Amino acid sequence: MLSLERVGKTYPNGVHALGGVTLEVELGEIVAVIGGSGCGKSTLLRAIGGLDPPSEGAVVLDGERIAVPHEKIGIIFQEPRLLPWLKVADNVGFGLGDRPKAERATRVAAALKRVGLSDKAAVWPRELSGGQAQRVAIARALVPRPEVLLLDEPFSALDAFTRTDLQDHLLDLWADAKPTLIVVTHDVDEAIVLADRVMVMCPRPGRIFDDIDVDLPRPRDRQSAAFDFVKRRVLAALDRSLNRTAAAADAEPKAAAGAAMWW
Amino acid sequence: MSLVAMTIAAERNPAEAAATERAPSRRWARLMRPAMGLVVPVVLGAAWEYIVHIGWATGRLAPPPSVIFQTFVELAKSGELQRHTLVTLGRVGAGFGIGVAAATVIGAIAGYSATVRRLIDPSIQALRAIPSIAWVPLFILWLGIFEASKVTLIAVGVFFPVYLGLMGAILSVDRKLVEVGRAFRLTDFAMVRRILLPAVLPAYVISLRSGLGLGWMFVVAAELMGASEGLGYLLIDGQQLGKPAEIVAAIVAFAIVGKATDWLIVLAAAPFLRWEDVVRQD
Repeated sequence: MLSLERVGKTYPNGVHALGGVTLEVELGEIVAVIGGSGCGKSTLLRAIGGLDPPSEGAVVLDGERIAVPHEKIGIIFQEPRLLPWLKVADNVGFGLGDRPKAERATRVAAALKRVGLSDKAAVWPRELSGGQAQRVAIARALVPRPEVLLLDEPFSALDAFTRTDLQDHLLDLWADAKPTLIVVTHDVDEAIVLADRVMVMCPRPGRIFDDIDVDLPRPRDRQSAAFDFVKRRVLAALDRSLNRTAAAADAEPKAAAGAAMWW
Repeated sequence: MSLVAMTIAAERNPAEAAATERAPSRRWARLMRPAMGLVVPVVLGAAWEYIVHIGWATGRLAPPPSVIFQTFVELAKSGELQRHTLVTLGRVGAGFGIGVAAATVIGAIAGYSATVRRLIDPSIQALRAIPSIAWVPLFILWLGIFEASKVTLIAVGVFFPVYLGLMGAILSVDRKLVEVGRAFRLTDFAMVRRILLPAVLPAYVISLRSGLGLGWMFVVAAELMGASEGLGYLLIDGQQLGKPAEIVAAIVAFAIVGKATDWLIVLAAAPFLRWEDVVRQD
């Protein structure tokens, strides 16, 4: 189980990005985090991933406090971030550096087959389309069999068709080992298609404004009335979350996160 | 010189070759395009040859191509050309080796550690601003007039582009890729080997090539200032004995060896840089 205990983050420049988030996520649960920009979604995800440890509170996974990246936690970024000097297969196997070669090869082949890119194993990342590259990134994150998979706006850079395609594909992959998924997104449809729970966050400082259960059977029909009903609820919550603090969005926390990352 | 590179690029591209087979006229045009660069020098050379031949000019100070070629062949036959080329090559090799080794170590440390960078980079930048030839008198005082001062001058010339190139490359490594390394819990050593090294390699190779170019420039300077052998000595010898053809022959030798060594670096690095997303153009 993943639990956040009053997780807060204040950057060295004084920006109070995250103001005490408390949350419990069961193993295998899919949680979508949604909210306007500057509400600390990415900060929260980076704290869970151990990339930017929180300045207050704690992230605890199975009784273990997370302060640095953990082997049970996989991360998928907005961009595929494939290493351009490695062939696709080597990118997928990047997290298996310490395993024997034969095991690596079979697991990589299986993962590539699972995302439908077996024929791309020996090509360079630059030869992939955006959707293919993101699928390779998903395979790379899944190959070490994480217990928790964090996704930071994973499909926002893709066209609408590829995006819905990959959302369905992600659910399909999730069903294999049922890891916990935490998906940060700004796309309400995406949140509802994927998640068991939608967390609506509000800014200044970032905190959870509403926690909406999505009790729809899978696969979910994006056109159904029930889907629409949940969507209205989420949109209404988003509206209220933003009206309360009408401050403009600020990009500062992200820039600061970048600076803190470098050595 | 560029002709070599162009034909290589053309040979390497099978798609291009296939396309040209479909259209013979385009293929002809493609083959002729590199040859365009030869038109001006060939026409000028032939014209000068003709002018000297019919006696409008003596060609004593500016020898026609045939005389230069003849001198080149004679120097090669007597073994003089090979001896001088090897001496020069040895100096460049030693200076390049020392310069690259120092620049790689210092550049890597300065790129990796901000503290070291703040400490040494301003001094190195200040030294860089000095035209390196200005060091010659000091090097001769310190190291004598023989090999040591020459090799040192070349090493100094090679050092700066390689240092700058490597440090800049390390500083501009994509932080997002470094973060991927962090997410997969790479150790510092693995981070260097699996992320930093491959990421800086393209810029490093370019800096090696510009360093080598400067090395060739500085070997000429060093040998002009006093040497009893080497291609630079041939230049001075040709000047003092009034043999312009020998000077031009030495210049041609410089061009050939310089291009060949540059090509060796490109060739050695090619297997590691296949991944680069470059637009191949003719």
